[in-house]
Amino acid sequence: MTLFWLSVGFGFVTASVLAISAVGLSLQFGITNYINFAYGDYMALGAYFTYVLNVEFFHLEIWIATLFGSLLMGVLAVFVNRFLLSPFARRFNKTFYVMIVTFGLSLVILNVVYSIWGPNVRAYSMPIERVVHIGPFLLTKYQLITMVIAVALMLGIHLMLKGTRIGKSMRAISDNTTLAMTSGIDTKRITTITWFLSGSMAGLAGTVLGITEGNLTPAAGELFLFVIFAAVIVGGVGSIYGAMAGALLIGLATEVSVVFISAAYKLDVAFVILIFALLFRPSGLFARPGKD
Amino acid sequence: MTSGQIETPTTGGSEGAALSCQELKKSFLGVAAVTGATFDVPKGMITALIGPNGAGKTTVVNILSGMMKSDSGSMQVGTVDVTNWESHKIARLGLMRTFQLSRELGGLTVLENLLVAPKHQAGESLFNIFLRPGLAKREELANTERAIEILRTYGLFDLRDNRASELSGGQKKLLEIARAVMAQPKVLLLDEPMAGVNPALIERIGGYILDLKKQGVTVLMVEHNLNVVEKICDHVIVLAEGRTLATGRLSELRANPEVVQAYLGEVINASTTR
Amino acid sequence: MSAFWYYVFTLVFVMFDYFILAMGLNIQYGETGILNFAYIGFVALGAYVTGASSLPPSAGTGQQYIMGWGIPFPFNLLLGGLAASLLAVFVAVVALRRLRTDYLAVVLISFSLVFYDITNNYVPLFNGADGLYNVPEPLASVFKLTTNSFVPFFAVVAGLIALIMWWAMSRITNSPLGRTFRAIRDDDGVAAALGKGVFRYQLTSMLIGAFYAGVGGGLLVQFGGSFNTSSWLPAETFVVFAVIIVGGVGNNVGLLVGSLLVETLLIHLPAFLPDIPGHPGLIQYIDTMVVGVLLWVMLWFRPQGVVPERVRKTPLSLLQGLKSDRTANAEVPAMSLVDGAGVVEEGGVRD
Repeated sequence: MTLFWLSVGFGFVTASVLAISAVGLSLQFGITNYINFAYGDYMALGAYFTYVLNVEFFHLEIWIATLFGSLLMGVLAVFVNRFLLSPFARRFNKTFYVMIVTFGLSLVILNVVYSIWGPNVRAYSMPIERVVHIGPFLLTKYQLITMVIAVALMLGIHLMLKGTRIGKSMRAISDNTTLAMTSGIDTKRITTITWFLSGSMAGLAGTVLGITEGNLTPAAGELFLFVIFAAVIVGGVGSIYGAMAGALLIGLATEVSVVFISAAYKLDVAFVILIFALLFRPSGLFARPGKD
Repeated sequence: MTSGQIETPTTGGSEGAALSCQELKKSFLGVAAVTGATFDVPKGMITALIGPNGAGKTTVVNILSGMMKSDSGSMQVGTVDVTNWESHKIARLGLMRTFQLSRELGGLTVLENLLVAPKHQAGESLFNIFLRPGLAKREELANTERAIEILRTYGLFDLRDNRASELSGGQKKLLEIARAVMAQPKVLLLDEPMAGVNPALIERIGGYILDLKKQGVTVLMVEHNLNVVEKICDHVIVLAEGRTLATGRLSELRANPEVVQAYLGEVINASTTR
Repeated sequence: MSAFWYYVFTLVFVMFDYFILAMGLNIQYGETGILNFAYIGFVALGAYVTGASSLPPSAGTGQQYIMGWGIPFPFNLLLGGLAASLLAVFVAVVALRRLRTDYLAVVLISFSLVFYDITNNYVPLFNGADGLYNVPEPLASVFKLTTNSFVPFFAVVAGLIALIMWWAMSRITNSPLGRTFRAIRDDDGVAAALGKGVFRYQLTSMLIGAFYAGVGGGLLVQFGGSFNTSSWLPAETFVVFAVIIVGGVGNNVGLLVGSLLVETLLIHLPAFLPDIPGHPGLIQYIDTMVVGVLLWVMLWFRPQGVVPERVRKTPLSLLQGLKSDRTANAEVPAMSLVDGAGVVEEGGVRD
């Protein structure tokens, strides 16, 4: 039973990382309507940006480094969209051209990371903290902070979507791009903001993944990518709240599975859930009509 | 027809109808597009489906051809109930359609667009390709001969080796009809076959449709041009706000005040004032 | 034999093998429009099955694997191809029928990663991360080949197999079946409206493509004698995409050109270069980046590839075989809308 509760605790940590990354992916998918296969590599690159600020230069405190690393990734995502993805998306109306371009982007970024930082495992410089007991859970301070960040961010996204003009425009574009354009929404500006958010959240997710796991490798984001896909699809593609719910479900399921099967396959559990979701509820738990 | 029903007995398909539907309903995101379409398309005739913009004509065509599922209601091709069937199965019963915005197979040549159409070709099976190549070849030759005949009729013969994506708008319209004809339809659904084409071409397309009727094909066409409807259509179905408003001959409908108010009046007035 | 010729024949082998792999992905993506991002998984399964079925029973070899039937070449290769096809049926039934293109791509790439994960971790299947090794060199004992003469010999064997598979693929792509594939690629809605059971054709296409993937993978393990998980990370799928997009989607000659340019010259040739001192692997990383960038450049400036898909013209023999003189358009019928109308432009449609 202790093991079970321990895994539930880790489940919440994984769910936090997943929620950040899945919402970031979902936001962008809702606006641009194609899947960014380089998202996992955005995570890795963001994590290494933080690494540079935290370890290689400046030696910033880990959370401050995280903030700047993530924002840097957001800026880069805007540039990549501006000069690579958006031109392709405008030119070819079949989405699979852009998807192949993002697939190529994934390869380029991954190998940039390999070229600069090499394949070796790295770690952030963080003071070692005791684990704390909270109810039945056993967590480090870093894991707790990660959960707090995730919850705060989800709340922030919620308030933004419901309460601000930018958020409302995002929802409008996501529901119907043509209609949004004709009703005077500056889609270009919103797309740029979305990419910035999506990139920053990827960077943040990649960094906290590195923090909670205790190490970072160039391919970590890529391997994590299909867990994100699982969360997004289970929740319903394009639905932000679906992505949050999907993240919680997948996060808990993968970690709790460790009680029953070898930890080596815990991420594969996400895939099994994905398949079942596709078989029985192909449009997701929180599917919105019109995105199907 | 009535005694030899093999498939599920139908509920509403009346005798003499090549295609019929009852109480079809469909809404998108809570907005009702079709609210109760009920009509019969008489066999061997040309029927027009008319109605003001947003009346749900294209949605009805999409439902009848199986490309969209209706929320409720039923429909029959001949005496076979095809409610909720997938489009390729409906097509195999001999119901073919064209699209309002031409959907040519752009990467294929004009000739290939036609050659795709015949059902159950021998050369579409791996087994035949490698083990019975003669059979596949003979069939292909016969199909090509027929396709060329059709291309000649539709004035597309000279363009046979062009990619379909290179055709002009009018040529694409013709290709769509030619492709449907190649599939030897019993019932042909034409979604605005004359929209956006020049007057000379309208004449020609009208001629083709009359020709098809002579060959025994039942035609249901969505059409805005009442001149065309008057000239070539035997029967008219008026759709307004997603439901069938009236059916009959155009001359009868012109006398129907409801129809005139909903649709005809506006068009007739518009055409006289112009 | 000098090292030079050893390298040359290795490159020749790579070219033929990737030609086969490219043909397999091309029928799926290029002809039928299925974005199979799990392609390398089928290659890997073919390789493992070819290897494991030709190895002796696993006890005492120091490796763990299933099968171990000692099946001789080329029957093990055939088995590898069939195993990949079987996997394709499974994948198609689960995913292909219900998903639109982009979700399908997501599911397939996830599948590819999971398959990788399981093979990597579950040792009894194909020896885990160590992979298979000491796979018998095919026909080496029959022709009394040494390790040196095996390389050119097997490059030629791969060439012959590629030739046969090219012939078979041409038969398929030039048949009505290939035409229906392309119709589905261009617009699956139209194909369905014409009575084509789209799923059945997609399944057929997946099956054919997976067979080519399996055979291509099988040849890889036969050539090198070993196969492990590091050789088929999902990014490898992208390389095969690069081969067909650079070479020319939908054109078999283009695929051979793409295989030569991308896989042989761009990826394998630099692999022979010595490492830059102090930077192990750097050449390879930069190389892979170049492939990614090359793909963007090609997609932007020449999306049809070096050798574009050809227009399949009406065969002249067919036109001559027709009964009467049919070289012109027929007379055009017309309804008369207005009195005295029916005036038609001459010589077909011009608008």
